[in-house]
Amino acid sequence: MTIEVSNISKRFGSYVALDRVSLEVKSGELLALLGPSGSGKTTLLRIMAGLEYPDSGGLRLFGHDALDRSPRDREVGFVFQHYSLFRHMTVADNVAFGLDVRPRAVRLSKREIRARVMQLLEMVQLSWVADRYPSQLSGGQRQRVALARALAIEPKVLLLDEPFGALDAKVRKELRRWLRRLHDEMHITSVFVTHDQEEALELADRVVVMSQGRIEQIGTPAEVYDHPATSFVYDFLGNVNRFEVDVHDGIARLPGTTQPFARTHLRGDGAAVAFVRPHDVELARVNGHDVPNTGKVLGIHAVGPSARVEVDLNGIAIEAVMDRERLRDLNLSVGDRCVINLPQISVFGQQEAAE
Amino acid sequence: MPAETIAHSAGRPALHEPLWLRASLIGVALAFLAVFLLLPLILVFAQALGHGVEAYWEALVEPDAISAIQLTVLVAAIAVPLNLIFGVAASWCIAKFEFRGKSLLITLIDLPFSVSPVISGMVYVLLFGLNGWLGPWLVDHNIKIIFALPGLVLATIFVTFPFVARELIPLMQEQGTEEEEAAVVLGASGWQVFRRVTLPNIKWGLLYGVLLSNARAMGEFGAVSVVSGHIRGMTNTMPLHVEILYNEYNFVAAFAVASLLALLALVTLVVKSLLEWRYGDELAASARH
Repeated sequence: MTIEVSNISKRFGSYVALDRVSLEVKSGELLALLGPSGSGKTTLLRIMAGLEYPDSGGLRLFGHDALDRSPRDREVGFVFQHYSLFRHMTVADNVAFGLDVRPRAVRLSKREIRARVMQLLEMVQLSWVADRYPSQLSGGQRQRVALARALAIEPKVLLLDEPFGALDAKVRKELRRWLRRLHDEMHITSVFVTHDQEEALELADRVVVMSQGRIEQIGTPAEVYDHPATSFVYDFLGNVNRFEVDVHDGIARLPGTTQPFARTHLRGDGAAVAFVRPHDVELARVNGHDVPNTGKVLGIHAVGPSARVEVDLNGIAIEAVMDRERLRDLNLSVGDRCVINLPQISVFGQQEAAE
Repeated sequence: MPAETIAHSAGRPALHEPLWLRASLIGVALAFLAVFLLLPLILVFAQALGHGVEAYWEALVEPDAISAIQLTVLVAAIAVPLNLIFGVAASWCIAKFEFRGKSLLITLIDLPFSVSPVISGMVYVLLFGLNGWLGPWLVDHNIKIIFALPGLVLATIFVTFPFVARELIPLMQEQGTEEEEAAVVLGASGWQVFRRVTLPNIKWGLLYGVLLSNARAMGEFGAVSVVSGHIRGMTNTMPLHVEILYNEYNFVAAFAVASLLALLALVTLVVKSLLEWRYGDELAASARH
């Protein structure tokens, strides 16, 4: 294991930022810490770097206790959300900083440093701005300089705090792919923090979903998306329909109906919360009478390759997403009745869903 | 007609005042400046040179005047560097760290601004004077503070304390700690972080603070007047010397020395403006992110 986090807790005054968090980062993987703001993900990353100190718990880097080592001895690269480039230094001097401040005995010569800096800048495709100042660069360029600067000290671990958070959508996407390629070439163990689920799912080998200082689920992007462990993960990852159901003997019913609605493994009876992703909602035309679970089409939005259909099921608005061909085959229009099948529904107890 | 509407609105922007109003407002402001700032300044030089350049020069090379000039420069030369160090240290810990009693410290730094300089002088007399708390001990050990150079330096430091810190605290707070954090993670030691990241980011603000602090240190009257004792050729600084000469109806000499002080103020302003003009881009760059 590259990074072992065991039972780390951290408070800021009365606010609990991290509550007994344990996590292992495998060598060479690209791991995402995903969660809404206030979930503790950035605090965890800063603790790994040594920029914060936990109240309790342990942290090991490459098998050695890291908590008693200062940030400068941890050999981690850190990329800040707002780049934090040294504004009074040129791009080349920024990248060279980590090499320049080394003790004389282990410092490279000026020429070696310059060569290394240019090599790094070429890697991030910015050798042509070496003598400019950070304020003369665009956001995406600044972030790549920040990355080159972090990589200059040949860190064993790369930590990135919302690396694309301050960039506009198009640049963000480009930079995201570019970072993935870079990671595949260098195989440096990397942890990045993000609140953007799309970013985490697209970029990471594994995703850690966090909420209110705790880890909700750890898994590959496919695992956390297809099999969310908690209602929070369901809610947070992707679009989802969420509605209340009554559970009795393992059967969920919509409130006020007797018709069985879905099966559930939930133990105990009572109110529960059901989740279903819009693309798992299946619509069909009504054939014959007395078909269960019919609803009324409230609206149709067909822009781009997929179509979004809003249906009303016993007073609950449910969103369905399908490709436009399927919509054409169904030949639905607003006000029509249709059959709503929900084969992929997940039901969570009310208590847990409330968190 | 649309074209007409556009032309009309372009000719009279929303925040445009009539000509007579603009002219009279600007006129009042200029007249005010002229009467209260420019005229006195001109008068100082006019009075000083009223009896010819020779009389002016004689007033400046007279031994007591030279001693006053030397003492003023010496006091500033000690007080300003000390304030530079204190100011940077205080702003560093206020802007970059969280701790208990921070707001109290900020209030304390502002104290010299809110207290009359005479009182700051009195405080030192009460502390170090012959009948003060530490007076007997100082006499026993043959240390002179009041009516001597140390007292002048202490009073000057007290009065000019906020200048550097006040200039730096907002600047450092605005810049945050991210660059320092980046430097630490990259392997820089505490001193390297300060010298290579923090200091370059505050150097213009620091220079401003030092300039203002220096101008005040040389021009301070109240606090220095209390602790000086007005011993001619010994503990008289330039402002005190001006007062003595004036009270002796020696107007030419008084205004000659005063003109030096005024000159100092002008030089300070010019240097400040020059810096702003020359390094305006860099100043703006270090202010934004």
